[in-house]
Amino acid sequence: MSAEVPERRNPGFAGETGEFVHLTEEDIRGTAYAGVRSPDGGHPAVAGTVPFLRADTDPQAPLFDGPYRERLEKILRRYPDKQAALLPVLHLAHERRGYLSPETMAEVADVLGLSPAYVRGVATFYTMYNLRPVGRYLIQVCTNISCMLCGAYDVLRAFLEHTGTELGETSADGRFTVIEVECLGACGFPTAVQINDRYWESVRPEDVPTILASLR
Amino acid sequence: MAYPYRHPDEVRLLSEYFGDPEARTLEGWRRRGGYRAWEKALGMDPAQIVEEVKKSGLRGRGGAGFPTGVKWSFMPQKPTKPHYLLCNADESEPGTFKDRELIRWTPHQVLEGCLLGAYAIRAQHCYIYIRGEYMEVAQILARAIEEVYEAGLAGENVLGSGVTVHLTLHLGAGAYICGEETGLMNSLEGRRGEPRVKPPYPAVAGYFGCPTTINNVETLANVPHIVLHGGEWYRQWGTEKSPGTKLFCVSGHVRRPGNYEMPLGYPFRKFVEEVCGGTPSGAPIKAVIPGGSSVPILAAEELDIGMDYESIAAAGSMLGAGSVIVMDARTNLVPPVRRMVEFYAHESCGQCTPCREGTAWAAKILRRIERGEGTEDDLQTLLDVSENMTGRTICVLSDSAAAPIVSSIQKFREDYLAYMRRPTLAGAGA
Repeated sequence: MSAEVPERRNPGFAGETGEFVHLTEEDIRGTAYAGVRSPDGGHPAVAGTVPFLRADTDPQAPLFDGPYRERLEKILRRYPDKQAALLPVLHLAHERRGYLSPETMAEVADVLGLSPAYVRGVATFYTMYNLRPVGRYLIQVCTNISCMLCGAYDVLRAFLEHTGTELGETSADGRFTVIEVECLGACGFPTAVQINDRYWESVRPEDVPTILASLR
Repeated sequence: MAYPYRHPDEVRLLSEYFGDPEARTLEGWRRRGGYRAWEKALGMDPAQIVEEVKKSGLRGRGGAGFPTGVKWSFMPQKPTKPHYLLCNADESEPGTFKDRELIRWTPHQVLEGCLLGAYAIRAQHCYIYIRGEYMEVAQILARAIEEVYEAGLAGENVLGSGVTVHLTLHLGAGAYICGEETGLMNSLEGRRGEPRVKPPYPAVAGYFGCPTTINNVETLANVPHIVLHGGEWYRQWGTEKSPGTKLFCVSGHVRRPGNYEMPLGYPFRKFVEEVCGGTPSGAPIKAVIPGGSSVPILAAEELDIGMDYESIAAAGSMLGAGSVIVMDARTNLVPPVRRMVEFYAHESCGQCTPCREGTAWAAKILRRIERGEGTEDDLQTLLDVSENMTGRTICVLSDSAAAPIVSSIQKFREDYLAYMRRPTLAGAGA
């Protein structure tokens, strides 16, 4: 099938740039404009939206100390009550510890005045909260219809081969967990892959070694 | 110019600056005419804005196509409780990627729409609910929100007008159902994102029981243009009942996938074959999903229609979010349908039995057929299950799962039979 796919205009992993040949990956991803967010969350309006799937996590990290305490307080100010802040506060906990253990959920419950059972009920509803530790890099390959039509299962197989893991398992060195994910919303740039907090777009099986090498 | 390909038939209202990194910044956006509508609106009565949007005939771009101005007019004229505007950026319908593009290239266009929408419905707070997976573009939007606050365009006493509008960016955590408006409200209240029974409608009792309006990102992005130029001006594009332009997201077997901004009513066949360049393999088109995975599949011979709400509905499908998924003649539809149904089985919130059970069983039967172990009776079972999944649940997720099953069995029965005759076909379409 690959012989029929048009030549890539601007190889890179921010998606096929088509007629916009002058654009760089940075232009497309807007990373310079967005900048790096500080642990205190910056402006209260956006304090709840720091990326929460990260490589540098520590399951023992204190949750609400220093700048993270500031961020918690900023988040709480933006909602009518404490319960409404549950998702962003879980994001914060997830960002620091890499997953939500029952103990972490209990701590979140405590700070928001909710019961641990309630927090667990909510956390388990959402697929992005990992409930057990995952590899340093969580590789999520979109296999939904648009990506599937363009070869997503081949990309998934390539990730499994090159990381030496089974679907949903973590590699022996603790670096990689590979899972299938539902539509990532980059259907025009198949196959879409999310690795921690960034997207890789227009990924083909032959790109997989390069992508993995960039993570090491 | 839509991204990453352009076509001369496009009308570039929302997408003119896609692919222009300078347009992202507040300064760059203002040089391109940004926030003039917001400045103008602050001198208008909220009711006048609602009236202009009504006049424009703008319809919700998230899938349902409800007239936006009418929706706004359901909000109380004299607030007794806080009003809320919720911007739905939980784009997760398979095949849809327009809101992400709007946010990553023109975050300020979206924010200006949010500010205008909030003012029009007398809300002092707009929450932008962006799906958790969009962490990267959320950082662009976060920066844009900081710029807007720094410039005094949002917050208290905007530009000395006495008007207060706050913006808060809220990241979801991976749940398709939170794109359903009442599921979104529950999620934003810190609950499981399970849809609510309607009525009461959000305009009466929404976020924390307060009057609330939920609008899609693309809907709101249209508002600055309408406020600036007037409702009549907007009607120069599109059809009488579907005015304006629409971002169509094209994916699957097309040579030039991406977002295209077309006037509503544009000829569908010409769109797929010429604008998007036809199929990469050169094989004829077999089937097209016109509005995301939730809508009935159209066969190639049904494409001689306009791309507007009425024409696609008359053909038995829906415009939905404008997410066009193209499949060429070499595709057997069983694997894509199985994959879509698996998606709904995964995303069902589990509240309603027909959906929780129906999606799971339909996925099981489809997997069985794909393994070459199906029988013709399975097709009837699938149709029966689908019937029980349609119109019997709190929200339409269940109906959405049934749509591709029913339409594919009706129009492409041969694809199913091929799996039954030749078990070795299993996996060939994937």
